[in-house]
Amino acid sequence: MMKWLFGMCCLVVLNVVMPVYADGTGWVLFDKVQGSVRQHNFDVSYVVLKGGQAETYRWLHGRDGEADIEHLIPMFAEGVDIVRRNDRVYYLLAERPSLITRSERIKELPALLFEDPTKIRKLYDAVAGSSSMIDGRSAQLLRLSAIDETRYHYWLWVDVETGFPLRIDTLAEQDQSRQNRALETWQVTHLRITPEMPGSLAQLLTIELPDTSSAETTASASPQQHELNWLPAGFEIIPEPLHVPQLTPEVLSYWLLSDGLHQVSVFVQRSHQLPTQAYRDGAVTIFVQSDAQRDITVIGPINVDVAQRLAAAVR
Amino acid sequence: MLSEKQEWLSQAADNKPVTPEQLSALLTQAELQQTVQRYQLTGAIMRNEADSVLPVDFSDKFASLLEQEPTYQLQTQRSLLQKMKMGVRQAANAEWFKPAAHGAIAASVALVAVLGVQQYQQPLEADLSMPSPVLQTRPVAGFATPVSLSQTSVDSRFEAQEQQAMQEQQRRLQALLQAHRQQVRITEAQPTAAPTAEQEPREYK
Repeated sequence: MMKWLFGMCCLVVLNVVMPVYADGTGWVLFDKVQGSVRQHNFDVSYVVLKGGQAETYRWLHGRDGEADIEHLIPMFAEGVDIVRRNDRVYYLLAERPSLITRSERIKELPALLFEDPTKIRKLYDAVAGSSSMIDGRSAQLLRLSAIDETRYHYWLWVDVETGFPLRIDTLAEQDQSRQNRALETWQVTHLRITPEMPGSLAQLLTIELPDTSSAETTASASPQQHELNWLPAGFEIIPEPLHVPQLTPEVLSYWLLSDGLHQVSVFVQRSHQLPTQAYRDGAVTIFVQSDAQRDITVIGPINVDVAQRLAAAVR
Repeated sequence: MLSEKQEWLSQAADNKPVTPEQLSALLTQAELQQTVQRYQLTGAIMRNEADSVLPVDFSDKFASLLEQEPTYQLQTQRSLLQKMKMGVRQAANAEWFKPAAHGAIAASVALVAVLGVQQYQQPLEADLSMPSPVLQTRPVAGFATPVSLSQTSVDSRFEAQEQQAMQEQQRRLQALLQAHRQQVRITEAQPTAAPTAEQEPREYK
């Protein structure tokens, strides 16, 4: 009888402790992933699969003492180079003016690899999963399950040896019993981690890049003509002054929302009496709702229901 | 003697070499020829070639058929092509032919051109008239990135007059998508922090 009771107690304790333990292991692994992309010198090629379309990038990173440099080359867009030197990001475009922003990361790279883990912990549970082989390397699965079910989930496959992310799937839903279909897959096709900074980065570190001091601001703030009276859980409006994109037809109101990891745009324009539509570009939903007075377009990595509710919240 | 005769005849029927004397005997004696013919027929039947073997009296029958065939009197006639050539040759010497020939050549060139243009235009028109669920990327801001937008829910109103409007809307959506991407690029991911002057987009010329 005592043995039986002891066994039951052990089972109960294990059931309580295991998820906590798994969660802790998951976040440790996640920290290892973030540390890997920040600390290592590497030359990586990766592909982003969106439905039937693939975008290929080359991504180089180097660190030498205080100097931190990153170079992203979209292979599908000729004449585009994105360089980050410390907290400055340069979009160097052939025969067009360069765009210079201030950021600790290149926005074209997966945000969850760089964002503050404390923010991500508020939105996700991290659970370490089973091991498998990705591109001939031993990889461990790390599931970031959204606490709010309307948010997308992320499954990461992490290189066991280096902690480098080998694959990231964005999922609308995750069900253990079914084959989950990724909305978007980010996958490394070539990985080379070196003790020294790649040679081309050492050169980029020293060359003179466009200076922001001589730049001029081109956009201007416009008053909002509408109100947005609902936000999805965890999202906040990026406060004014905000630059309303100069588009045709004119944008009457514009909001940019962020939960620290994802950004969503809400545009209000004059009505063109078009049917309500939803499109998808990988994990990004584009939802258009039209009535007699205005067209509301919601763009961001959110599901269609949330986009629809956001559009309905414009007054 | 009989067996010897049959032996070399059998060999002859199997395409084995024969002596000149045997050959001349075979050519002169009808009895020997019939024997060889029988041997060959037997061999053909054994090799399942009976269908391909002509009947013994094939040549006689064919000769008699030829005799019965009526005799045709063929007359020398110019073919249609020759007639046309002659006509053109005569016409080429006439004064009226040269401008007419130039006109005909010009007309045929024009016809080919019109046909060619129609053929090239058909697929283009087909592309334009089809409502495409995939947005084509245009570099509106920053740089162009290909998009693979698949339609998930659309009102089922695809009237012909609406297709033009649909294309216009797709162009607008592309512009909005690029504007969204540009906003994400230039904005710090701090939802509560007010953007500083350095977070504003700057263009370097």
